[in-house]
Amino acid sequence: MTPSGRGGRRLAQPRRAARFRATFAACVWATLASAAARAEVPRDAGERAFLKCYSCHSVDPREAGLSGPNLFGVVGRRAASLADFPYSPAMKLAAARGLVWTEEALDRYLADPLEAISGTTMSFPGLRDAGERRAIIAYLRRSR
Amino acid sequence: MKRLVATFAVGIALAVLPQLAAAEGRFTTFKLPEGHYPHDVSPGPDGLIFYADQRRGGVGIVDPKTGKIEKVSFGEGSAPHGVFTGPDGKAWLTDGGLNAIVGYDPAMKKFTVYRLPEETGYTNLNTAAVDRNGDVWFTGQTGVYGKVDVKSGKVTAWAAPKGRGPYGITATKKGDVYYASLAGSYVGRIDIATGKVTVLEPPTKNQGARRVWADSKDRIWVSEWNSGNVSVYDPANGSWKQWRLPGSNPKTYAVYVDDEDKVWLADWGANTLVRFDPVTEKFESFPLPAETANVRQIDGRKGEILLPLSGPRLVAVFKK
Repeated sequence: MTPSGRGGRRLAQPRRAARFRATFAACVWATLASAAARAEVPRDAGERAFLKCYSCHSVDPREAGLSGPNLFGVVGRRAASLADFPYSPAMKLAAARGLVWTEEALDRYLADPLEAISGTTMSFPGLRDAGERRAIIAYLRRSR
Repeated sequence: MKRLVATFAVGIALAVLPQLAAAEGRFTTFKLPEGHYPHDVSPGPDGLIFYADQRRGGVGIVDPKTGKIEKVSFGEGSAPHGVFTGPDGKAWLTDGGLNAIVGYDPAMKKFTVYRLPEETGYTNLNTAAVDRNGDVWFTGQTGVYGKVDVKSGKVTAWAAPKGRGPYGITATKKGDVYYASLAGSYVGRIDIATGKVTVLEPPTKNQGARRVWADSKDRIWVSEWNSGNVSVYDPANGSWKQWRLPGSNPKTYAVYVDDEDKVWLADWGANTLVRFDPVTEKFESFPLPAETANVRQIDGRKGEILLPLSGPRLVAVFKK
């Protein structure tokens, strides 16, 4: 959330979110001065693709309270295993049946969440582009 | 002992499940062509229904009289999340794939693409509303809200308070604009003259305000995803009220207020369409006509509630 040279405000992107939060905490919210939205486009394809997930998920282990579970270290993790996250019954059932977030399982889930786990409350409709899915999974693999 | 266990089990079931009202014969559903994905719906002219096809792109048009479904493509990369019909009958789509707002004129059968400024970057566009000047306001989940000046075609985007999260958006009868921030757990009131936002905090912390809709008195109704509540903000006195939906684990995704000021909600926890009467403060739950219906948005018109059933890829009409 660094002010740009032109006086605009950059958008908080995945890796910059923590810094943005710190800035926000120092602010008093009343009526806010509007600032033009200017984004730093991530160079990394995975980080760029993760912007589609970013509204509900974080890869910053300190960040909680979003509507999706924290994805720090998710690759290889047992499904529904974060103690403080209210998973759907469908996700808990999948976990009880042994679902582990391997890269293959993540790919299936990202392609069509509802097809992969009927009853999931993840509201994302899925990513058709296999390259984009691979990029996100690679990004998640590095986030540990 | 067996009977005691059975009785106890029934008692538990009754306690956690919402009382369901009869819905037989009140839903009519339309199966969409293979691969189509209805994220949002909106009433079109002559009884038509628009849907935003997030998977195949463009706007779909259902004719409930004939069951015929037409598709208007917006070209490669299109993936609209929302569709909203303005007072002039034009449909406004928030196309995340194109990073643009697309206006579709059903009378002329033409669409116009209003791209976001290049420097805004990818915004994960969400929902649109039309203000009293006829301008289109929109949200982007990466942390953006903005406006299309329809006369000039100029698109302006602003960084939202608290960053990521802007989701549903609505205009009041007076033409003021409010949006919900899912990740930010607040409702933002936009000053449409300046673009400035006032942050309004619902009573429940981290409630996950997802969608908003204004009633005839310009009160703002909020569907709260994390808390399972519906809440209402009254701009006249700055007050909030809130109610938890029936059932043990409500997940309130969408809200719509009809022409009689009845509040309609989509509950993913119980897979129901829920009607809330603000006068009696009573809920009525209607089972949806498919398992895991995943209703992401609600709209309507006189006598009808319109629903996208994104799970089974249906568009549904519920007779009130």
